[in-house]
Amino acid sequence: MFSNGKCISIAFILSSLATPTIVGAEYGDVLINNYSDAAGMRPVVFPHWFHRIRFRCKVCHADLGFKMEAGGNQINMLKIIDGEYCGACHNGEVAWAVENCDICHTGKPGQPTQVHQSTASKLTTTTKRKQTESVE
Amino acid sequence: MKKRWSMAINMIRYLYRLTVYTFFLAAATGSLQAAESLRNGKQVYDTACGACHTAGVLQAPRLGSQEDWIAREKQGFEVLLSHAIKGFKNMPAKGGNPTIKDKEIENAINYMLVASGFDQYAQKPVKKEAAKETQQPVAADKKEPVKKTQTSSVNQFNRLMQPSSEWNPAPAKDGIHDPESPGTLLLQEPKVAFDSLSKSKSGNRVDWVKALQGHEIAPRYDRLSDDASPVVMDLNIVREVKGSMPDVVYPHKQHTEWLDCSNCHPAIFIP
Repeated sequence: MFSNGKCISIAFILSSLATPTIVGAEYGDVLINNYSDAAGMRPVVFPHWFHRIRFRCKVCHADLGFKMEAGGNQINMLKIIDGEYCGACHNGEVAWAVENCDICHTGKPGQPTQVHQSTASKLTTTTKRKQTESVE
Repeated sequence: MKKRWSMAINMIRYLYRLTVYTFFLAAATGSLQAAESLRNGKQVYDTACGACHTAGVLQAPRLGSQEDWIAREKQGFEVLLSHAIKGFKNMPAKGGNPTIKDKEIENAINYMLVASGFDQYAQKPVKKEAAKETQQPVAADKKEPVKKTQTSSVNQFNRLMQPSSEWNPAPAKDGIHDPESPGTLLLQEPKVAFDSLSKSKSGNRVDWVKALQGHEIAPRYDRLSDDASPVVMDLNIVREVKGSMPDVVYPHKQHTEWLDCSNCHPAIFIP
């Protein structure tokens, strides 16, 4: 009855009306899942609020080079062990060291990298996810 | 002749496609509108009223507190309804969400009164036409009509308008942490950390500028040193706005207490 093109159009219209998952995580928490799912680990949840109580923005975003974009830093464990990014503090001296895998890798598997409670992420998550999938 | 026939056939095909698409669009949007048509009192309360009426923000009568409601209830239901619809004192019209229908406001007031101990309102019938409206969408769209209502709600979209019951959830309940992970239970709950900090109306409900100024927190300016202090620049940049809005004032002071110049200059703002 319908060609493939028509079915896709109808599916698109209906899917655009579907409900996105409403997540209640703390405002500014960053879910990082650049490599975790593929590596069989839970994604990382970075609690912005917890770090903001202890450090000013400048420490991470100027001194340590964290770009202000979720997923923009391509952090992996090798870099962390070498003292880059999270490893600059999570080295057993400033804060607890990297062997505590489960404290960072606490996210639900299968979630895309994003900043939580951000209005922009609610608008762009689907698009970004599609772009990522097409690149992979 | 042949050309004319093929044009006519193409025209009929085009009209057929147009009809099919219009039908599906109408069916989809129609079912959505129907699902939106009427929410019950609790649903309206959770998305609009609860932000103030749960905690009693700005003297709002609290849900469940008969003492808060008794004088108001004496004025009569119609007065309460009128205040809620038009706004009254600190309460914005329709809780700040103009998309809520009058009948939904009625349902919400009814819900709050019953929950606050005025049992006589438990019998208050939902108007017949309203009851019909709620039944129709169920027949038209049986798949989770409530969820669709939430999707299109302004308040669900706007993170600043969450009910207070959803503020600062514990990691195991926030939706992004895995409750099965052993690490999740080791994490500090945001509410515990925020308890002593100055409050704000948005974001994670902490006023970080006040918390810093009031020495409620002492975040390091250097990774390793407690003694390093920022170079604070006290300079307001005023940008004139066309139209009726007041000018924009950008305060360097509060930003340089947290950030380095290189965070904004020159990549985002050319000085």
